[in-house]
Amino acid sequence: MTRSNTITALTGTAAKARKDNDMNRLGWLARGRRTGLASAAILMAATGAALAHGADGGVAVAVEGAPSWSLSPVYHILVAHFPVGLWVTAYLFILIRSLSDAEFAVRLQKAIWPVAALGTLAGFVTYGLGLTIYPWSAITESPLGRNHIMLATWTLSYWTVMSVLGYRFRRHLFEGAQRWITLALATIGVAVITITGTLGGSLGGTPSLVTKSLGWIGWNVYMTFYLPTWMLVTFFAGAVLLIALGIMGSRAKPAPK
Amino acid sequence: MKRQTKYLAASTAIFAGLLVAAWVTHGTGVVRDDPERNIVIPDELMSDLQVKVAYDGDTIWFRYRWPVERPSIFNDVLIYQDGEWVRRGGESLGPNPEFLTEDRVAMMIDDGSVPLFSRYGGYITIGDGLTTFTGVPETDEERTKYLPSTRTDPNDFDTVRPESDLQMLREAGQFIDLWQWRSSRSNPIGLGDDGLVAEERGGDEGTGPYMTNFDSASGQPRFMFDPDVAGYRALSFDDVVAGDVGFNDTYYLSEQTAVPFDPTYEWQNGDTIPRRFLRPETGSRADVVQPSAARWRNGFWDVTLQRAMDTGNPLDDKIFQDGGSYDLAFAVFRNASTMRWHYISLPVSLGLGQPAQIEARRSEPGQPDWTGPWTEIEVYYPGQITWGQLTDARVHPGADRIAQRVPVAARHTEEQLALYGVQMEFREEIRAQWLWTLIASLSLIVGLGISVNLLMRRKEGDA
Repeated sequence: MTRSNTITALTGTAAKARKDNDMNRLGWLARGRRTGLASAAILMAATGAALAHGADGGVAVAVEGAPSWSLSPVYHILVAHFPVGLWVTAYLFILIRSLSDAEFAVRLQKAIWPVAALGTLAGFVTYGLGLTIYPWSAITESPLGRNHIMLATWTLSYWTVMSVLGYRFRRHLFEGAQRWITLALATIGVAVITITGTLGGSLGGTPSLVTKSLGWIGWNVYMTFYLPTWMLVTFFAGAVLLIALGIMGSRAKPAPK
Repeated sequence: MKRQTKYLAASTAIFAGLLVAAWVTHGTGVVRDDPERNIVIPDELMSDLQVKVAYDGDTIWFRYRWPVERPSIFNDVLIYQDGEWVRRGGESLGPNPEFLTEDRVAMMIDDGSVPLFSRYGGYITIGDGLTTFTGVPETDEERTKYLPSTRTDPNDFDTVRPESDLQMLREAGQFIDLWQWRSSRSNPIGLGDDGLVAEERGGDEGTGPYMTNFDSASGQPRFMFDPDVAGYRALSFDDVVAGDVGFNDTYYLSEQTAVPFDPTYEWQNGDTIPRRFLRPETGSRADVVQPSAARWRNGFWDVTLQRAMDTGNPLDDKIFQDGGSYDLAFAVFRNASTMRWHYISLPVSLGLGQPAQIEARRSEPGQPDWTGPWTEIEVYYPGQITWGQLTDARVHPGADRIAQRVPVAARHTEEQLALYGVQMEFREEIRAQWLWTLIASLSLIVGLGISVNLLMRRKEGDA
């Protein structure tokens, strides 16, 4: 191949790469816009429905210390099904992909991060709606309320981490031994979703068998979940240790083959 | 396994390990007895009470049975110590270690005149600032239960309505009948105690079953045991505390067992005389009696109280009628505990020929029919929860449900209420610890997120 041909070929390849890149960026922008518009429409519809529900039926009652405005719990309950459904679906896909390299599993794997991320987006909306139901002072006096907030915070933060992981590493999550770590992390995630959901049900007056079974394995959910001070210190130290391990591990030289 | 993957596995294992450790250690380090703040948490938060009811048209009988490991048949006593008579027992924070606080059962009764009672039971009588509650200063007068309607500000003990208003409320039935049985201060002579809760918890008109056996002027008891009846003038304190004095001994003072105190007798250290002298009741207060004195057997008190269905005292008593429906709430005092260290029930319905949780059995005249099954009632330690807190939306997320008259039993179980009651005794400490737990656990999840993001690897050459 002559020098000019080589230059032409390289120039063509670079131009193609730039074009592909531009196309990708435009595609992302378009998808982002669509997703944003759809999310905004859903939120507006939910807000409208909530405001429409603001007028009480039956006999109005005055309650000492009641906030001037609060959102009916039904919207939190309604919206909560979305993150729960999406995250559990993401977990199902992770489970299948972790156990199988079949084409079907590989196809499912491509949906994992978008499903998890949508769940996280819906999770933030659900969390926000939940905080509008009761005054903060009241819900944090209730052991069950405290526990629900605690687990909801864990769930939301945990699946935010999982969504970021899914987005950044995609198929690499299932390479080699990493797939088992991915599965372990996701299993913890689905456990906290389950507990958060059952606590929400209990708070609404419909405790499930899961609520009781938590008692059988050591946590009566009507007792506030709090840690003794020494465990708090251990948790903070654990957080620092985890970050340190991450930094050390990322800088570590590969083991000799 | 690659080194980075090993770090990744280690991070995951540390995170999971900390979660397990949190699961094992949660809920510890805050709840503990604190007598300085009047906080003593019973070892058992739950107990049981069995109830049967019978009536014959003139008389109604209530039979109560509840477990008590060791019966307490003494209340406060006087002990001779180096020339002085010293009071011991009676009121105490939590269980009295010397078993000098009597066992007791109490029953509130309403006929529907106090509608909140059928939904929330005794909770409506717990105003702010009652005696023994944390932070309430000690006062000469006991600050007892009261009905919210008897105050201009239901949450302020001191805002009692004018006497004319109280009379009007009483005539409208705005009071709760209160029966009590006391193992030391009424049982030995076969009596109950008829009282009520209105602007305060008190006795019906008349005199109660006991008086104080102590002359403040002389600093001596008024009565001692009749040696001709009991065989002794006083009991031994060691025997009393050890539980060696029983039903077959003379352990109480009454007209039949006591004589005036003899100050010339050579009293010995440890000589013990009950601080209460039992006597017949008078007036409306004498309405509630026992067919016979109850005895503790095989780990249970089995107590029967009876009263005329219509006492003729409608301003003191709730009148029972055949075909009527009523609401009850029970309190059981066990393990030598008194005041708020009792076990309470949620409101329970009673029907006389009507469907109810407790269905009274129609009986032959004077012959209570006990052939029916016991009604099993869960009772629990209520902790420190006031009606003011329950009805304030800033403190209780269910305040709006109370405003809508949703019964407590529709939202909470007895066990749940017991646990909530204890946690309310440490509300500030637990909330602070919970907030720190929230922050610490969030930091752990963030730590995990950073770690895993740093340690996850892509195959070489893959973007």
